[in-house]
Amino acid sequence: MQPSPSIARGASAVSLSHVSLSFETDVQALVDVSLEVAPGERLCVLGPNGSGKSTLASVICGLLAPDAGSVTLVGEPVMREGTVDFAAYRRARRSLGLVFQNPDDQLVTTVVEEDVAFGPENLGVDPAQIGERVRRELHRVAMQDFAKADPTRLSGGQKQRVAIAGALAMEPSVIVFDEPGALLDVRGRRSIMRVMDALARDGITQVHVTHFMEEAFAADRVIVLDHGRIALSGTPDEVFSHERELRALGLEPPFAARLSELLRDRGVDVPWTCDVATLKSAVASVCAAPLDSRVSRPQAARATTGEKDAAPAAGAKAPAAPEDVAVSVEGVTFSYAESSATRGDAGTRGALEGVSLTVQRGSLTSIVGQTGSGKSTLARLMCALDTPDAGRIVVGGVDTQPRRNRRLVHQRIGYVMQHPERQLFAETVWQDVCYGPRNLGLDDAEVSRRASRALELVGLSGREQVSPFELSGGQQRLCAIAGILAMRPGAIVLDEPTAGLDPRGRAELRRILGSLHAHGVTIIQVTHSMEDAARSDQVVVLNNARLLMAGTPREVFTPANAVLLRECGLGLPAPLAWAIELREAGVTLDLSQGLAPLTTEALADALAEAIARAARGPHDAHDSHDRGGD
Amino acid sequence: MALRISMGQYVPRNSCIHRLDPRAKVGAALAVMITVFFVQTPAQLAFALAFAAAVLALSKVPARQALRSVRPLVVMLFLLGLFNLLYVREGHVLLALGALRITTGGLWYAICYPLRFTVAVLMGALMLFTTTPTQLTDAVDACLAPLSSMGLPGHELAMVFSLMLRFIPTIADEAQAIVDAQAARGGAVGEGSLAHRVRAIGPVVVALLASSAHHAEGLSRALDARCYEGGSARSHWHPLHMAGRDWLALAICAAYVVVLLFLGTL
Repeated sequence: MQPSPSIARGASAVSLSHVSLSFETDVQALVDVSLEVAPGERLCVLGPNGSGKSTLASVICGLLAPDAGSVTLVGEPVMREGTVDFAAYRRARRSLGLVFQNPDDQLVTTVVEEDVAFGPENLGVDPAQIGERVRRELHRVAMQDFAKADPTRLSGGQKQRVAIAGALAMEPSVIVFDEPGALLDVRGRRSIMRVMDALARDGITQVHVTHFMEEAFAADRVIVLDHGRIALSGTPDEVFSHERELRALGLEPPFAARLSELLRDRGVDVPWTCDVATLKSAVASVCAAPLDSRVSRPQAARATTGEKDAAPAAGAKAPAAPEDVAVSVEGVTFSYAESSATRGDAGTRGALEGVSLTVQRGSLTSIVGQTGSGKSTLARLMCALDTPDAGRIVVGGVDTQPRRNRRLVHQRIGYVMQHPERQLFAETVWQDVCYGPRNLGLDDAEVSRRASRALELVGLSGREQVSPFELSGGQQRLCAIAGILAMRPGAIVLDEPTAGLDPRGRAELRRILGSLHAHGVTIIQVTHSMEDAARSDQVVVLNNARLLMAGTPREVFTPANAVLLRECGLGLPAPLAWAIELREAGVTLDLSQGLAPLTTEALADALAEAIARAARGPHDAHDSHDRGGD
Repeated sequence: MALRISMGQYVPRNSCIHRLDPRAKVGAALAVMITVFFVQTPAQLAFALAFAAAVLALSKVPARQALRSVRPLVVMLFLLGLFNLLYVREGHVLLALGALRITTGGLWYAICYPLRFTVAVLMGALMLFTTTPTQLTDAVDACLAPLSSMGLPGHELAMVFSLMLRFIPTIADEAQAIVDAQAARGGAVGEGSLAHRVRAIGPVVVALLASSAHHAEGLSRALDARCYEGGSARSHWHPLHMAGRDWLALAICAAYVVVLLFLGTL
């Protein structure tokens, strides 16, 4: 695609000069921001929630005029020293595309190709050309086989690709991506990144707003926003080298950066880098020294890893005493065919077939599996929102099947569904949190006690009289979770609790779950994050409605299972995947069961040890007497 | 859950009904839907039912799917029909139990009223099954053209109508999620006394309104970003033009109406 002829060669695609913008709530969304985006450039805008990055995206794609400053978009001076030129804005918008978070809100019709055609139709493009554009763009986002499909039946990643095709069909000079992957699973995010890589190759100017640092590598330039100001700017390497500043902003440095930092802390001579390939070759070359197999493997390092060690095999397999079982799922089969018959051919999605598992009281269990594997169905069944067609589920000794038991089950097991913030309804945070305990028929004093304790636990004390709709997105989710915690369930089921949160929000949620776990609450989480799963007591893997495997993280995440897990759309936790790749590159790492590193810290320890051993190896063999006194 | 609604979802098939010009289709459907109110005799009812069945067969929409989607409405109509059965006192008495008297007139109304409404509902459903929202918008737009020429927002109304159809399944799914969430918090909707149910529905409605407002905000951003500015400068990928088969369809529809009215005079 050619850059729009309206941009002179060498001129900026987007130019902001001393731009400021505040909302009526006196929040300064943008403060004196100056920014140039060159044609063909791929710019990444990073920042925690509330840093003004979404506002910046709206300004760049011409949907929001700032209060002060000058703005030139695709060669149109839309704003000069605070004076808005509406006609220029209208012209500029025709060459600016936007794709944002929620795919559902961006699709306006119920046929994929009609949706892609919607933008060109609005631009008054000749009908003969529209067909060609629709075909070309659907092909570019690899959705050509879904031209006649109903977008509401597609997965989140597919919907988002249709939205991208819809924006591209308007042949924009600049396309703005405002957290396109925030609501998607790992696979969906990856597919969006592939499309963006292809667009970069085609020379399309891209502005990508995200809080996933891993997504920023491919960019030509990265800027980091903090409270509406540009805090850092430069190439990805330059920006990520400011690790302390990034952490202070609540952003999580990328995996390679974390690992190289940890290795340097352990005295390993590798350069600091955030580039995966560089670090890998550095580690491999440090370890390249000849190895001595006689050196026995010291065990001390593992004690500091903070990882959950496997329970003794015998103990794990022994049948648990009934009172120690929080939830038991026995041969459960379930199908949506009846209840969602009206949804036609989608009737069989997310069913379960013959699933059995046991969740120990007080344990932390992770359910993993790709979209449509039945994880959310299993969560709903455990919470008695549906009942199994065959088999049974017993929660704290109560069978979920009889209708009269449902209320009892709801008291024993709390359910935090996906995006629980969408279920808030009361006038104040306090009333919303009190809803559950009141339904339990508790007296006012007890309701108050529970509500204030729950709000304290999620860190929302002091916000009781605020409307839940005035909270930030992350706080809304915490408020919804407090509403479940106030019911004091012995077990709690969370369906993708961290989806859509920024790193700070994710860390906060992990802290809350950790403290619940420490108080003996049984936690069952449906998750897409293998790293989260690696930190639990039990991992349950579902694939195509069936139980693929269940066990401790050490039993499930093994090099031997890597292929099997990949086949069902999952991966290994990044540290283990890395360890396997390094071993293939010649680094001696013992990855047998019980020793495979599942956390970044454990990987750093294992590598430091392997490297120390490699360094010691030749000396041990040739001049061990000289080194003996060390 | 009865909250799941499939009304108005396009069913992609390659049938002669699908290929009709949406204006002809909407016009014909409206004509059939309005004329069912003239159905008074068994012959008329049989003719209207036969016509609806023929259109259903021609559309290649699976009959089960079509009937399932109109079922909730039809069940309600038959329940209302029961009132006719009990309260209409025309014709011979068939059965008398104390105050309860069932007459031939009551029985006929109890059968005829729901069935003729079924024809109307089915025609409406078939129109939506065989027409994409974009086509429907264009058709409604064309029908509202007189409004637009008077300076009223005819095109915008058509767009709103189409977006409403697009969002029905999304909102229905969300309603289900909200009901589930509240059930899990002990606020069971659809259980207990009528007063209890009415109270329980309040939180659901508020949460649903909040999420709808959220969707509306996102949607307006999307419409702006895609340069939607009303009808003026829009082009159409598949511009509408009436072909021979569309006129034929209208002629068949007109013939149906004439025959139906004629049967009523017999």
